[in-house]
Amino acid sequence: MSELTHASAQKRLIGGQLLGSSQLVLGAILAVLCIAISIAAPQFYSEANIIAILRQCALVLIVASGMTMLIITAEVDLSVGASLAFVGCIGMAVLNSTHSLALGMLAALAFAGGVGLFNGLVVTRLRVNSLIATIGTMMMLQGGVYLFTREAVQNHNQLTSFTDLGAGYVGAVPVPVIIAALIFVVAYVTLRFTTLGRYLYAVGANERAVRLSGLRSERLKLLAFVGTGLCVGVAGMILSSLMNAGQPTAGRGFELTVIAAVILGGTSLLGGRGSLFGTLLGVLVLKVIDNGIIILGWNQDLQMVVPGIVIILATYLDIIRNNANVR
Amino acid sequence: MSLASTASAKDQPSMLARLFARQELALLVCLVLVLAFFSATVENFFSVRNMTNVLGQASLALTAGVGCAIVFISGEVDISIGSLLATIALPLIIIMNDTNSLLLGVGGALLFGLIIGVVNGYLVAYAGINSLIVTLGTMFIMRGGVYLYTGQRAIPDAASLDSFIALSDGRLFNIIPYSAVIAIVLLAAFGYMMQHRPFGRQIYAVGGNQEVARLAGYDVRRVKFICFIISALLATVAGIILAARVGSAQHTAGLNFEFQVVAATVLGGVSLAGGIGSLTGMALGVLILQFLSNGLRGLGLPTEWQLVITGMIIIAAVAFDEAKRRRANGG
Repeated sequence: MSELTHASAQKRLIGGQLLGSSQLVLGAILAVLCIAISIAAPQFYSEANIIAILRQCALVLIVASGMTMLIITAEVDLSVGASLAFVGCIGMAVLNSTHSLALGMLAALAFAGGVGLFNGLVVTRLRVNSLIATIGTMMMLQGGVYLFTREAVQNHNQLTSFTDLGAGYVGAVPVPVIIAALIFVVAYVTLRFTTLGRYLYAVGANERAVRLSGLRSERLKLLAFVGTGLCVGVAGMILSSLMNAGQPTAGRGFELTVIAAVILGGTSLLGGRGSLFGTLLGVLVLKVIDNGIIILGWNQDLQMVVPGIVIILATYLDIIRNNANVR
Repeated sequence: MSLASTASAKDQPSMLARLFARQELALLVCLVLVLAFFSATVENFFSVRNMTNVLGQASLALTAGVGCAIVFISGEVDISIGSLLATIALPLIIIMNDTNSLLLGVGGALLFGLIIGVVNGYLVAYAGINSLIVTLGTMFIMRGGVYLYTGQRAIPDAASLDSFIALSDGRLFNIIPYSAVIAIVLLAAFGYMMQHRPFGRQIYAVGGNQEVARLAGYDVRRVKFICFIISALLATVAGIILAARVGSAQHTAGLNFEFQVVAATVLGGVSLAGGIGSLTGMALGVLILQFLSNGLRGLGLPTEWQLVITGMIIIAAVAFDEAKRRRANGG
């Protein structure tokens, strides 16, 4: 009897090592999607289209990398969309006045990191639920960006290095994709192979236990908030480079896309469980759907409906699979 | 022994009641301070006309807030209500345009709302999916569905029924807007249910400790299922009032409405963790935010500043409340 459960546990462990819990389902969904779309529209598999998909994935993946860490610590940040717009405006304004990409980047990172720090301090010091705290920050940023500028901040600097940030290529690969890949790898290694990563999981799984074992759980959460903020800073600069302007209206609903991708990737909102690889799959699934809808010439408003169905369906399939495993 | 236990059982609810009363007292003081500040600084702020106007504006958030608070107390969240507002306006306006009957239009809208509530409730309570995920999903699906159906154009109310228009600008005894009357009646009815009916207490029990509620013999799934239906139906009523106010079915109706309602509900002391808070608190939270934005507009501040200040106040209020609770718990 005990041998039997041991064997099944081991089997599950091997499966789990190959691919995490919900990632099998997600990988299957992604494969089915890709095959179905390529049968219906062969141009889906063209090099140009694949690069286009990757470019669209980049922005979401950058912020989702930070958000995955944050949600693993059992917190969430709804202010990333509003922050994204504000960062783009500030970054562009600094670029226009200083003509220095480094200073513009620095300003964007400082601002977005500051927003993350503020969120983190409110959540860890004042003990405000992060859902509410970041709704509050979202409102402040949405109002604040209009106080900062009523119209889009146009690009008056004509820096080629800034244009390259969004539209440039290294070989055949777009620059945003390379940046996203770098951030993803750093986040992946941190979560998977460092003690810091293990601590982040521990904080989300059982904060009390982490505190009792002598770690500063508040510091860890604060770090995750600031990390998410910095990711928003990078994404905001890329977005304003792509649009060639800082748009105060940009980023509406962006937070929901990011969170949807993270959740789709199997990261639990309760904390302590999840993986960046799942997030990558989640982002890919959402963006392949977006792209498929365009390529097939369907109504673009389906871009909201289909992800909604996919999020619910994927979570449900995961629950069914888990129940089957327990049995 | 048995005497002592009955005595303590009697003490328990009164202690709870006192705790809630204190929470609501703090909110009431906040509301009075807001009213006092703007009465002193804004001309015509403390007039019957302005007060009743604000009440009319608050009726949307009050009505939907009742549902939001009930779902929170049961230990779940519903963030699909903003999209629901836009969705149910479609059957409402289309049926009214076709049949010239308010009753049929409202009936159609409520039926739609019921279906949405059943779907949300089933997926959370019986399929066991996290409610934030479910309602995030249905929020996307409904908003996208409305965009698809309308082609991102508003559908105007061509029937212009007097009874429908009265929902937006009619007033009971020429004083209180009908929309506010509806909100207050619903608030009172559900407030009574939450505090004095067995089902209301079951909701508190389920949200407070699901395992204990289950062991006490409550059907936890059924309770949650019904909470989502209540939430959807109340949001439907809010959607009908909104459609009457704008005189059309707008595809952008209710954007970010869920965040406003969630913020007001939490400000009102209803905990996201479940089992804690009251509808009175939620109502005070809604009124504080509504009077605040009205007063700030009266001071001539642009809407952007209202957003910034509202955001700060929400964070400050919840932080203050949390600090108070921790001190009370001796930690």
